[in-house]
Amino acid sequence: MSSDDIISSDASLDAEQSRTFVTVLDLIIPASDDGRFPSAADMDVLGYIVKTEPELLDTIRLELDRLNAVSKDLHGVAFGDALGAERQALLDEVRGDEPKFLRDLALQTVTLYYQDDRVMEAIGLEARPPFPKGYEVVAGDLSLLDPVRARGQVYRDVES
Amino acid sequence: MSDDVVDVLIIGAGASGAAVAWSLAETKMRILCLEQGGWMNPSEYVSTKRDWEVLQNTDFAISPNFRDRAADYPINDDESAIAVANFNAVGGSTILYSAHFPRMHPSDFRVNSLDGVADDWPIDYQTLEPFFAENDRNIGVSGLAGDPAYPYHEPPLPPVPLGLSGETMGRGFNKLGWHWWPSDTAIITRPYEGREQCANLGPCNAGCAQGAKSSADITYWPMALRQGVELRTDCRVREVTVDENDMATGAIYFDADGVEHHQRAEVVIMACNGVGTPRLLLNSTSSNFPDGLANRSGLVGKNLMFHPWGLVSGVFDQPLASHFGPQGSCMLSQEFYETDLNRDFVRGYNMQITRGVGPVATARNGVAQGKIPWGKGHHRAFEKYYDRTIYMGLCCEDLPEEHNTVTLDPKLTDSHGIPAPKVTYTLSENSRKMLDHGLEKGVEVMQAAGAWDIQSHGHVRMAGWHLLGTARMGKDTSRSVVNEWGRSHDVRNLFIVDGSVFVTSGAVNPTTTLQAVALYIADAMKRNLANLFD
Repeated sequence: MSSDDIISSDASLDAEQSRTFVTVLDLIIPASDDGRFPSAADMDVLGYIVKTEPELLDTIRLELDRLNAVSKDLHGVAFGDALGAERQALLDEVRGDEPKFLRDLALQTVTLYYQDDRVMEAIGLEARPPFPKGYEVVAGDLSLLDPVRARGQVYRDVES
Repeated sequence: MSDDVVDVLIIGAGASGAAVAWSLAETKMRILCLEQGGWMNPSEYVSTKRDWEVLQNTDFAISPNFRDRAADYPINDDESAIAVANFNAVGGSTILYSAHFPRMHPSDFRVNSLDGVADDWPIDYQTLEPFFAENDRNIGVSGLAGDPAYPYHEPPLPPVPLGLSGETMGRGFNKLGWHWWPSDTAIITRPYEGREQCANLGPCNAGCAQGAKSSADITYWPMALRQGVELRTDCRVREVTVDENDMATGAIYFDADGVEHHQRAEVVIMACNGVGTPRLLLNSTSSNFPDGLANRSGLVGKNLMFHPWGLVSGVFDQPLASHFGPQGSCMLSQEFYETDLNRDFVRGYNMQITRGVGPVATARNGVAQGKIPWGKGHHRAFEKYYDRTIYMGLCCEDLPEEHNTVTLDPKLTDSHGIPAPKVTYTLSENSRKMLDHGLEKGVEVMQAAGAWDIQSHGHVRMAGWHLLGTARMGKDTSRSVVNEWGRSHDVRNLFIVDGSVFVTSGAVNPTTTLQAVALYIADAMKRNLANLFD
């Protein structure tokens, strides 16, 4: 599935919230160093949430605002504008305080991420549903059953 | 409104209702089946969609309470240690079953004689053997002849592939000297009766788009319909009616438009599963049956059995392509199936080796458990788990206990206002000890197979697929609801053919036994047709 398949969600977040949101996504799943895997920030996670779990949206706004407020208090800038190490420390602190929100966000993020064409191809899958092409599975070596056969009957005989 | 009388009215078009409809069709009686669900469209099954891993847990979730399709009825399982799983459609729960198809053992029908617990069945394995074979041929069952855990039988089709994961586990079992064998599976591995063979799509337990899984809608029903059986879908039965002579007269049902009908019948056959059947009987009260139809024994709804379920997973170093292939069917071990007096429990359990999960579930599980981290380490950790995980289900025999019940909920109703079932169930001490043993042995074999990360968990609450025992068969009218061929002791033209009639549960997925019992009852009805109500 490409991000184009997802309902667009402009205006769900203001500019500062949006910057912080994509920063958090990149902290959840950054691009791989070898370039095979994209960053989760490259995907329309917000659109996916609007489509699949819209009740999470209000919480996202609140939590992003909270993250930005803490960041401004400590570092004078919104979370999305903070330095890398500061962001990570802040996020770790917030994860400790409010694990459910970030846990839910992370689960939604990976759910979308691992349906993305680029990611499927990176893990060796064709970007398609299982049907109709299906997959090859090796039959397996049935001679492994020789010792099981050699041992003989393992069920109880019962008189009729 | 009163409709024409039919010879046989079957309620429920799932595994057992379909088998009975097909078997009785040769009598040329007028047979009608009422089913509360509709026909499934295989093109809508999850494997046709890119987001199949998500849909598997939403539109095709196994809990009727969560899924809440129009055909579903709610089940109050708040006071049950195990939550009910089912599906309501033509084909019933075979639409979502894993098609793991091991038979019950000969000893399963003699648990009182052998182990001094529960009751013996009034029939035995030998009686059912021809019906097991007939069922295997009718629907297309795959497997490998010669399993030393069973009397010899020959599945009509070769087994599903072991895959690298099956081979890996086979080596582990061999290291310990334990039994294992490729599972009998109701999935066709070669073209069969006009159906295409399995394409290893993966999520069989959310419907098979290929049509290779032998669900009742694409096996028995086309055969039964060709022979003249009538099937009315989207028809929900409210109660079975009875006259002053204790004979069933038919059933009152709501059609797709919500219009109430009274369908008259000479014979009524219940095939609504171990929750649906007692629910309907308990909803069918009259002056002669104030406690529910066919319930003079007081046992309708009692002795509910599930199979307490344990889960063990192992992660391996090497790639195993473990999420391809029939998800719930690979191989089994019955090393601990039979009673061993050296253990602290009686009876035993089956180890069911299943495939791994797809990328989304791998990531979600890993992130939720903290094994796949956020940040730079994410990709590397994901690759350590993805397609390298093997699962094992532990299917424990559940012994009947009268306090485990299906009753009517005093408040909850379905969309037609019919009282919904309430399930009350606790795990016995015997089950707990058996589960603990199974989890320990599951870990042991995962270690022997070379897994580096092993998890065990049980009992699993959302695993109440197997609904058994709530209208048990027997010869003693005070200790059973139906006789040895499924006829109600109290209502001589009322038959029950689903898992309700099981006296004990065995320790295997019950569908093959359940369908063999249904075919056996239909055969008994045909043989006794001239004096069916004597």
